[in-house]
Amino acid sequence: MNSLRKEFNTTTLVLIPVAIAINIAIGHTIYILKLPFYLDSIGTILVGVLAGPWAGALTGLLSNLIWGFTGLNPAYAPFAAVAAVIGMLAGLAAQAGWVSSWWKALITGLVVGVISAAVSAPISAYVFGGVTGSGNDALVAMFRSFGASVLPASFAQGALTDPVDKAISFVLVWLIIMALPMRFRARFPQGQMQT
Amino acid sequence: MSEQFSIFQSRPSRLHALHPVTKLVLTFCLLAAALLLPGLWTNYLLFALAILPLATLGQVTGPLLRAVWPTVLPFAISVFLIQGIIYPHGTPLFSLGPLTLKREGLLLAISGTGRILMVVSNFILFALITRPDTLMLSLVQRGVPGGLAYIVVASIQLVPRFRARAAAILDAQHARGLETTGSLRRRLSAIVPLVVPLILSSLVDVEERALAIEARAFNHPGPKTSLIEITEAGWERPARWLLLLTVPVSLGLRLWLG
Amino acid sequence: MLTLDHVTYRYPNTERPALRDLSLTIPAGQFCAVVGANGAGKSTLAYTLAGFVPHFYHGTLTGAVTVAGLNTASVTLADLVRRVGLVFQNPYNQISGTKFTVREEVAFGLENLGVPRAEMLERIAATMQLTGIAALAERSPLTLSGGQMQRVALASVLAMQPQVLVLDEPASQLDPIGTREVLAAVQALAASRRITVVLIEHKLEWVAAFADRVLVLADGALVADGPPAEVLASDVLLTHAAGQTRYTQAARLARAQGGWPANQPLPVTLPQAVAAFQAARP
Repeated sequence: MNSLRKEFNTTTLVLIPVAIAINIAIGHTIYILKLPFYLDSIGTILVGVLAGPWAGALTGLLSNLIWGFTGLNPAYAPFAAVAAVIGMLAGLAAQAGWVSSWWKALITGLVVGVISAAVSAPISAYVFGGVTGSGNDALVAMFRSFGASVLPASFAQGALTDPVDKAISFVLVWLIIMALPMRFRARFPQGQMQT
Repeated sequence: MSEQFSIFQSRPSRLHALHPVTKLVLTFCLLAAALLLPGLWTNYLLFALAILPLATLGQVTGPLLRAVWPTVLPFAISVFLIQGIIYPHGTPLFSLGPLTLKREGLLLAISGTGRILMVVSNFILFALITRPDTLMLSLVQRGVPGGLAYIVVASIQLVPRFRARAAAILDAQHARGLETTGSLRRRLSAIVPLVVPLILSSLVDVEERALAIEARAFNHPGPKTSLIEITEAGWERPARWLLLLTVPVSLGLRLWLG
Repeated sequence: MLTLDHVTYRYPNTERPALRDLSLTIPAGQFCAVVGANGAGKSTLAYTLAGFVPHFYHGTLTGAVTVAGLNTASVTLADLVRRVGLVFQNPYNQISGTKFTVREEVAFGLENLGVPRAEMLERIAATMQLTGIAALAERSPLTLSGGQMQRVALASVLAMQPQVLVLDEPASQLDPIGTREVLAAVQALAASRRITVVLIEHKLEWVAAFADRVLVLADGALVADGPPAEVLASDVLLTHAAGQTRYTQAARLARAQGGWPANQPLPVTLPQAVAAFQAARP
């Protein structure tokens, strides 16, 4: 558990609320604009890559809970576990060196997207009946019109949109980290891993 | 509490005066009931018999309905269309031209909307009657790590500023002719100039803010005290335990009747 | 009392030292100013006195730094933050970000230190009165102007009752009247409670008006040390691009044009300038 304590130094603790606010500000803008992505995990991925898997998981978890419990978009709260998984995977991928170039970030994003679609589908299907009021419902409708039942339709929708969304997010995070001064990156446990 | 992110509304109500943990337990039990209790119309009953009276007690009925309606209505329409009409299988009930409403889909739509109605209104009620900082303080007093409380409350303070900045950047991009409508490719390329500056500018301050809280003894060892005092009525503790009993009851009813 | 003994410091991953072989002693209760060009090491010195160098910034620190009887390298940051208060330039980054009223914000440090509530209330009332923000007690910190926020930061730090107060360009957000009020309050506090004040400031007029002593830093090294009338009028400041007070500047211009007696000392404050220019009238 010593690595756990190291992940949560003061600078990380200050970064996490900033990351959560980024998630919500960008994610909500995209939601209102009804664009076919989410882009609600950029902060989560950033923390995961810089500070580590546990910090990333916590960022994702809290983002969704806060988003839901403060009344801004209650639909997000049940997906807290998915966001935690994304943060954790981002941290592990960074440790494995899979966020160190734009194309590696892209591939990592695609893989994480598929996993996140798989974890989201049951939640989406059970709590929401496959529908969340976002722009992606049209896709679910399409799959349902083919005769798919709720769970497969939710997963199919997710499998189409999530990998692209996460691939974009991971590449954006890679871009941002490359733009950060080394002095700042060095304050984080994994900050110097991507060069 | 103007300009805050949480929709908390301060009112001199008996509901607001409850201890934050009581409100948390109440929300949790209602959530469990909403997700577990069987029955097509159960969630609508819960909304009418639990949420609305509580909102009235808390003098927040207006804000509650105003916040719930725009979230639930689009969902209800979507689920009605997708489950009730677009899904091709099921017993037809009613036809209008090429569109057929099926019985199974209609039932799914009704129960789905009921569940969403309860989940959304439950969280919104909680947000309306709970101050985030006293909630976190009461949790810290019960052993939750101070770092976690810091993260939650700091996030709640930051979100409105970040949303304003995102809106400002979006406006500036529009003024420079950036399109956020139109082809997918165009919308995609609109994202980078929106996202990257927002994030980079907010990361600049992180180091100094960490220095600042260190300078205010944030990591000082030993027990912390609090300026704010949270009150708790004597009957609240046993009441919380009683409330929690409803959870196994909900579960039992589901297993037995579900 | 503060002592630096042959202190050299390098930030991590840098070659040029930010502080070079600094040795100085500041007695308790002194109001000491630190001036110099940008990048001369003033802020680094502030962080070193508060213990953030090396505990927060890491890097390589050689030599001994003794503050309030403690060697900063051998104790923890927690021991030091109680004794050394640091107010820095950007007020927006100094609020905790977790409090919804100014009163609670000022209490933040005291809560962390575990100060009992009754004493907290007294200290908060006293420092809010001292910094002129008592009327803002119930306002949200997010709605304050830069100057108001800077006063809140000062009140918050003073409430922790430090023995040493380090102020890094506190006047940057305040108007002249506000600056005078704040510095006068700090000066009175320094005198009455024997708090050592280290003021980093590049608006030299304030240094001349309030400091007992001026240290000039250039490239991380100490190049001048003495009373304001002497240091601020000397050419050392000009050599190291550390600026000059407008009164000194006026007198220099006059001297260059022959309107100032050659052996008359240059003024650093307004009263000095007025008296000297009047005396120099033919």
